[in-house]
Amino acid sequence: MTDPNGSGGTSGTRNLGTSSSDAHGREPSTAQVRPAGAAEHEALQEQPGPRLLQGDPGSPGRAGWWTGLGRGRRAARGGSRAERAALSVLGAVVLFALLGPLVWPDPAAQDLARFLERPSLSEPLGHDHLGRSVAARLASATRLSLLLAVLCVATAAAAGTVAGVLAAWRGGWIDAALRGTSEVLIALPLLLVVLVFSAMASGGLWTLYVGLALAQWVEYFRVVRARSALVLGAPAVEAAGLLQLGHAHLWRRHLWPELRPLLLTLATFGVGTSILALSTLGFVGVGLQPPTAELGLMVTEAFPYWSEAPWMSLAPVIVLTAVLLGLLGLRRQDGTDRVDGTQGAR
Amino acid sequence: MLRVLRQRLVQAVGVAVVVSTACFAIVQSLPGDIAYRIAAGRYGYDQVDAASAASVRAELGLDRPAWQQLLDWWADLVRLDLGTSLVTGASVAHELAVHLAGSLQLAAVALGTAFTLGAPAGLLAALRPGGRLDRLTSLWVTGSRALPPFLLGLVLVLVFSVHLGVLPAAGHGGASSIVLPALTLAAGLSGLFARVTRDTAVQVLSSEHVRFAETKGLRASTVLARHVARNTGVTLVAYLGVQAIVLVEGVVVVESLFAWPGLGHALVHAVFWRDVPALQATALALALLVVALNTIVDLATLALDPRPRSGRAAR
Amino acid sequence: MSIHLHELAVTTTGRALVDVTDLQLHRGRPVTIVGESGSGKSLLAHAVMGTLAAELRVRGSMSFDGQYLDLAHRATRRRLWGRTLALLPQEPVLALDPTMRVGAQVAEGAATWRTDRRQARTASSALLARLGLGGEVRAFPHTLSGGMAQRVAFAAATIGGAPVLIADEPSKGLDELARAELAALLRHHVETGGVLLTITHDLDLARTLGGDVLVMKDALVVERGPAEEVLDHPRHPYSRRLLAAEPSRWDHPWMRQHPTHTTTAGGRGGSRDTDAVLLTGAGLGKSFAGKTLFHDLDITVTAGERLALTGPSGSGKTTLGNVLLRLIPPDTGRVEHSPALAGGRLQKLYQDPAQAFPARVPLRHALGDVIRRHRCDPRHLDTLLGTLRLEHDLLARRPGQVSGGELQRLAIIRAVLLAPTLLFADEPTSRLDLITQEETVRCLMDQVEDTDCALVLVTHDEALATAVTGRRLTLHPSDTVRTGTTGSDQPALRRRPARALR
Repeated sequence: MTDPNGSGGTSGTRNLGTSSSDAHGREPSTAQVRPAGAAEHEALQEQPGPRLLQGDPGSPGRAGWWTGLGRGRRAARGGSRAERAALSVLGAVVLFALLGPLVWPDPAAQDLARFLERPSLSEPLGHDHLGRSVAARLASATRLSLLLAVLCVATAAAAGTVAGVLAAWRGGWIDAALRGTSEVLIALPLLLVVLVFSAMASGGLWTLYVGLALAQWVEYFRVVRARSALVLGAPAVEAAGLLQLGHAHLWRRHLWPELRPLLLTLATFGVGTSILALSTLGFVGVGLQPPTAELGLMVTEAFPYWSEAPWMSLAPVIVLTAVLLGLLGLRRQDGTDRVDGTQGAR
Repeated sequence: MLRVLRQRLVQAVGVAVVVSTACFAIVQSLPGDIAYRIAAGRYGYDQVDAASAASVRAELGLDRPAWQQLLDWWADLVRLDLGTSLVTGASVAHELAVHLAGSLQLAAVALGTAFTLGAPAGLLAALRPGGRLDRLTSLWVTGSRALPPFLLGLVLVLVFSVHLGVLPAAGHGGASSIVLPALTLAAGLSGLFARVTRDTAVQVLSSEHVRFAETKGLRASTVLARHVARNTGVTLVAYLGVQAIVLVEGVVVVESLFAWPGLGHALVHAVFWRDVPALQATALALALLVVALNTIVDLATLALDPRPRSGRAAR
Repeated sequence: MSIHLHELAVTTTGRALVDVTDLQLHRGRPVTIVGESGSGKSLLAHAVMGTLAAELRVRGSMSFDGQYLDLAHRATRRRLWGRTLALLPQEPVLALDPTMRVGAQVAEGAATWRTDRRQARTASSALLARLGLGGEVRAFPHTLSGGMAQRVAFAAATIGGAPVLIADEPSKGLDELARAELAALLRHHVETGGVLLTITHDLDLARTLGGDVLVMKDALVVERGPAEEVLDHPRHPYSRRLLAAEPSRWDHPWMRQHPTHTTTAGGRGGSRDTDAVLLTGAGLGKSFAGKTLFHDLDITVTAGERLALTGPSGSGKTTLGNVLLRLIPPDTGRVEHSPALAGGRLQKLYQDPAQAFPARVPLRHALGDVIRRHRCDPRHLDTLLGTLRLEHDLLARRPGQVSGGELQRLAIIRAVLLAPTLLFADEPTSRLDLITQEETVRCLMDQVEDTDCALVLVTHDEALATAVTGRRLTLHPSDTVRTGTTGSDQPALRRRPARALR
């Protein structure tokens, strides 16, 4: 879009309704008073200027947000508590999605005699209004959501990265065309794109996949393009040119190491966004259609029986919340909570 | 400023073309004969027969090549002729006005609530980073992210309508009916506002120029009012632009959930019934709403921040 | 009025960052603290001002006008700000509110601001006019040059009438002209009865200010005394070393033994004609944002020669360099490179070496890729590391984790691996402390000497240009270009007639 100084605009918003808290691309956490240890270390460096003054914003040039990210990742490897918690929550959900269908094989098998049967040992989530096993449906729905989300994100990330690097590298009309397209697409809310898409063919898996991927690649394109343009314009790449190190070196040492953490963060966002979009569409009745087991759809179906069988409504809600919380926890640990579309994407 | 307006205008036109073309593609891909549907829309399903469908087909030129029909389709849009609803047979433009008003009402109330809750909370949190209020705000943000609007809406319905029975869960009757939908929208937004205000204010508070203003001998309140508030405002306003899409998406979900008569509700209905003219109109209105919000934010930022904004975007 | 500091100490986790037993500041006699980064000199200033980060422990006391303040309590200074104590910040461009007009930022510091805004505004305009900024009262900070911003900051800091002015690295980032103006302002403050404490690594500024000079190293004052005495006849070994590191006092073999016409067996290719022209620029012109940087400029660089491109900031010397390297096209004219520069034998050193290496990979990859790609002998790298006194372990780190001086030496190694015939150095030491600068330049020149490669040095530092190069091309903002041999005290190193450049 048009906001030219990298602030504001609508990019970065297709992420769980979250987004950059820092529209200017600066790193808020360094704005806080620096920890004594770090400050002390820097005072010994040759860099001129005092480092121990209040609120020293750090060397703005290269100690940008990503050094914070590096620290965060190192800390994460050590395994903070929040990180481990988030990982184990996500792990549990994935395990459930993988193993659930083995234990409770058929999500569609109806047995009206077991209408709203209470939870038991063999059926820990009871049966729904059609006598189907809620556990089986939940496992199947979780697997579907995770798979589709990961697939959409992988497609969007791959397409966006290729387009972004291409635009930044070649410039010219390729850049102009891709950027023009992204300007328009970025103004379209993700839900709108997917809704319109699902209107073409009624709620097929295929439409949802294409719609979600189509709505999300723009995000990757903009971030990758902005970052690649910065990297390719930097003295390091100029030096690599003078040293005649070739394209493989550029990709391997300059671009990919810069892009990887960004993509990782965006992908974490993206998985959450996709799962949420799927369930939201299912919930309002224009996503996947019954009798497919889908998280949002399950909430809608179970809600009328809230007073008789609250566990039926709660089960999909808990899975959804667990996934989103887990992804949030991972991202926080990444130290890149604020790195998303607005990071120089405009 | 003219440059901003020109760019946003180009974007708006692009959005219109994309949405309209997508809707045309839907028409072409619809199962069954579109002429039957339109005839049914006009005369009612009982009166449709092959003859009336054929007359509709000839009248609308549906037997011509697709690209000619697409040009016609665009031409209708340029003339602001949005057509009639395939379901109700009413003028889409007329319904659009009603729905737009409904959505704007909801969005304005939600935005206002979110701002009055979030911005002061963020500012207070920024004065003591790591303090109790700061941690509370952070928890709130995490919570609002983990509980998406439709689930939050359900929880609110359960608590206030089903169990307490104090507020209506759906519809558009009286002032109390807006409370739950607006609250659902505002809950998530206010957390984000708080977070952005807090981060920006912390950053501004520790900036060189605020430090310098302090050592000039200004009182803390003067520094806050003259330097911190304005610089925080610049970022906050820019962030409102980022929120435009979140707001519009939220509107779609919340309206469907609470059956609030707005654009989002109409859109979901249109998708459900494959009511293409209504779909096109509502989708266009929502997308242009995003562009309009961003234009306002651009202009506000321009007025608040004198720094030139060429630089990176010019590349 | 005079200020007396006793037993001032700043510590963090038990380590002393500043430890000064006694410091007196008097009216009319400036005090300047010099020293390198990390010596604690800026911390001392901010300890006095009361603006240190909370996690640093401060001890000591300060007495003035019969008042006695405990420095451990930062709040005791707050009420003195603006009226008694003023701080001239480093990097004034960052210290001014970007969203507020200059006049208002100055006016709000005036004593009458709270009671009579009109009068405060008048005072602000008058002060700015006196500083030559009468036309900038309604300007926003981003439209000012570094020197102008510094003068605005000076106005904003002093309008409150504080007799005590603390200047923290005030000359950082300023060009020669702006520095002279700044020194005049500071002197004026002293001459009108003010107390001045200046923190700087700029020995020229210390000389200009006069008064007393303190040399700090590792938290301690190692030497103090009148400026002329300390700066001309230092007694402490560290002071001597610091002063000897000024380019004008250098004494290195390569300063005299510059290669002359004699055909020397240099570089890889055995004997070659050192007079061979490596690079020619003819009729070069470049404008940027409507401003002509240079036009109709002719230049040649021959093998083995050392040329300096000098001029104040903004004069376009870096742009000219990039045009000569064919990294950006000139608006007019053409640049030709000799075949001797092909195959990576034209290399460049950057002002910020951290930006010249891929930021997120260990340095060994950056260097290893060069070695693999050009099939260099890996042992050559080890030899060079040894010659330039760099630990091999450094290669495991990322660019951001290595100090500026070491990284610039690594950049020199990277360039030298390709045995360049022309090395282009763009302000390679402008971000380094004096002693580090000398060490870095020594490493650079040793390599230039060894490989007999030509050097083009872009610098704003005339003394450095004189010390390192034989010929100079000076760009002036007014679009005039002069050339000549570098400094009259140097023998004409290249007997090539200086080409008329205009």
